[in-house]
Amino acid sequence: MDELLELLNDINPDVDYETEDQLIDGKVLDSFSIITLISNISDTFDIELGPQYLVPENFNSAKAMWAMIQHIREEDE
Amino acid sequence: MSILSVTFLLFVAGLLIVYYLVPKKIQWCVLLAASMLFYCLGGWRSVGFVIGTALVSWACALGIQKKADAQKAYLKEHKADLDKAQKDAYKTQMKRSRRRLLMLCLVFCVALLAFFKYTRFLLAQFGAESSAFGIWADDAIRLLLPLGISFYTFQTVGYVVDVYWGKVKAERNPLKVLLFTSFFPQITQGPISTWSDLACQLFAEHRLDYTNYVRGAERMIWGFFKKMVVANIVAGYVKDVFTNYPQYAGLTALAGAFYYSVQIYADFSGYMDIVCGLCQMLGIRLTENFDRPYFSKSVAEYWRRWHSSLGAWFKTYIYYPIAVSRWNQRLGKWAKQRLGKAFGDYLPATLALVLVWFTTGLWHGASWAYIAWGGVNGLFIIVSMWMERPFAKVKNLLHINESAWLWRAFQVLRTFILVTFIKVLPEVGTLRQGLGLWKRIFTEHTIPASLGRLLPFATDHAAFFAAAFGIVLMFAVSLLQRKGSVRELLERRVPYVLRLLLFAVLFFLIVYFGVPASGGIGGFLYAQF
Repeated sequence: MDELLELLNDINPDVDYETEDQLIDGKVLDSFSIITLISNISDTFDIELGPQYLVPENFNSAKAMWAMIQHIREEDE
Repeated sequence: MSILSVTFLLFVAGLLIVYYLVPKKIQWCVLLAASMLFYCLGGWRSVGFVIGTALVSWACALGIQKKADAQKAYLKEHKADLDKAQKDAYKTQMKRSRRRLLMLCLVFCVALLAFFKYTRFLLAQFGAESSAFGIWADDAIRLLLPLGISFYTFQTVGYVVDVYWGKVKAERNPLKVLLFTSFFPQITQGPISTWSDLACQLFAEHRLDYTNYVRGAERMIWGFFKKMVVANIVAGYVKDVFTNYPQYAGLTALAGAFYYSVQIYADFSGYMDIVCGLCQMLGIRLTENFDRPYFSKSVAEYWRRWHSSLGAWFKTYIYYPIAVSRWNQRLGKWAKQRLGKAFGDYLPATLALVLVWFTTGLWHGASWAYIAWGGVNGLFIIVSMWMERPFAKVKNLLHINESAWLWRAFQVLRTFILVTFIKVLPEVGTLRQGLGLWKRIFTEHTIPASLGRLLPFATDHAAFFAAAFGIVLMFAVSLLQRKGSVRELLERRVPYVLRLLLFAVLFFLIVYFGVPASGGIGGFLYAQF
C-alpha cells in the first residue's frame, strides 16, 4: 500500500490519499493522470492492468486501487 | 416513421396501452415487437442488417462466455495438478480463442458499417465515383444505408467487448440481444448505451407509475418544443446563410454560425428529451446525453457534456485500450528517458487522442470536412493538455483567481465561441465551403445598416420572435438545471393549474409555429450520422 501511495503522491502531492474517496468522481485525477498512473502501477506491481479495469470504482480511492491490484494478482495465480 | 408525425404519437399511445396491459413478464417482448415494427416502417429492406448484427453479436458473446466459463472450471478442477507455467500456457491459449471470436464480431460489424458508410467516399478518392461501379455505389449504397447503423453498431460492439473483458455475462436469449440492439427510441440517434446500463431495465417488470408518466409526458412536450419550434425555425435561417454567405456581410455569416449552434443543440437535445421522456413513461431510464454543454469551460469538458454517451464509448473502447496498450506504454517510457518526463507522460495519451478524434470525425461523416472537424477538436484538446502546466504558471503570474465568476464566464464564452466555429466547418457543405464561411466572418467587415439587413433571413417576424422566446427559455432552463431537475422544481414551487397552463402554452407554440416550420424540414441532424 505504501508503494501505491508513493506513486499517487508523484502525480499530485496535494491530496490526502488515505481519506480521499472521490478521486475520479471529484475530478482530482483526470484521464491523463490515470494513464500515467496505470503505467506506473503495472511496472511497480508487475501486473497487466487491462482496459477492463478502467472504471471509476477502481480508481476513486487508494483503497479501491489496492483492492484492484490484489484482485489482478489473485487472477494471475 | 418520423417521430414528429401524428403516426408516431399514435404508435406511442398504442404501445403504452399494450405495454401496461400485458403480463409484466412479456413487457420486453412488446418492446421488441414495437422496435421491429418501427424499424420496418423506417425501411423494411434494412431490417436484415440489424437482425444480422444482433445475431452475430449474440453468438460471439455467447462463445466468448462459454470459453471463459470453461477456463474457470478447468483451472478450478486442476488447481493442484498444474504448475504456474502450465496454467499460464492454458490461459494464453484460451485467451487467443476468445480473442478470435471477438475479432470475428468486430470485423463483421465494422466491415458492414464501413461498407455502407465509407465506400462512396473511398471510391471518390480514387476517382471511381463516376464509373459504372461508382453509380452503383452512389445510388444503391446511399438508398440502402441501414437506419441507425452507426449507433447500433457501436452499442453491440460495446456489449461484446464487455463480455470479452468479463464486465458483463453474455445473454443466452438471442431475442433479448436483438431488443438491446434495436430498441426503437435510441436506434436513430442514440444514446449509445452499455449492456449494464440498459439491459436490466429493458427486461425488468414495470408497473404504471403516475409520476413517471406525467414527468415523461412533460419532457416529451419540452423536446417537441425545442425541436419543432426552435430548431426547425432556426434551420431555415442556417440553411439560408450556409447557401448565400458569399453575398452576406461577415456579421450575418457570424449570426448564421451562432444560429447553427442553437439549431443543433435544440435539435439533438430535443430528440433526447422526446425519447428519454417516452422511456420514462415506460419506466426505463435512458442514458443521458447532455449536461448543459454550452456552459463548459474548455473544449475537452464540452465533449464530456455533449453527446456524452458517444464520448464515453470512445473513451472506453478506443482511448483507454490504446493509451494503456503495451506498445504505447513502452513508447512513453522510451520518450520519458530521452525527451523528458512530461513528454513521456503525455505521449501515450496524445497518440490515443489522435486516433480517437480521427475516428470521431469519420464516425460523424465520410468526408474530409468531418475528418478536419475531428482534427480541429483533437488539436484543441491535445494542445490544452500539453500547455496545462505552462498555462498554470502564467495564471499564477497574472494572479488570476480561477474560481472568480468573471473568469469562469470568460472561459464559458470562449469555449462557446470556439465550439461554434468548429461545428460549422463540416456543415456548410464541403471543407472548402466551411473554410469559406470562416473567411467571410473574418474578412468582411461591413456593418449592416439595419436589423433587417443583419438578419435578412428572418422574414417571418412572428416565427422569429417565437424562436427567440424559445432560445431564452432554453437558456433559463439550463441555468435552473444547475440546481437539479426543472420538472421537480416546477412541481414543488408552481401550482398545478399554472404548470398545466405552461405546458398548454408550449403545446400551442408547437402547433402554431412548430408544425408549419417542420413542413419543409427533413429529419433530425444527428440521424444523418
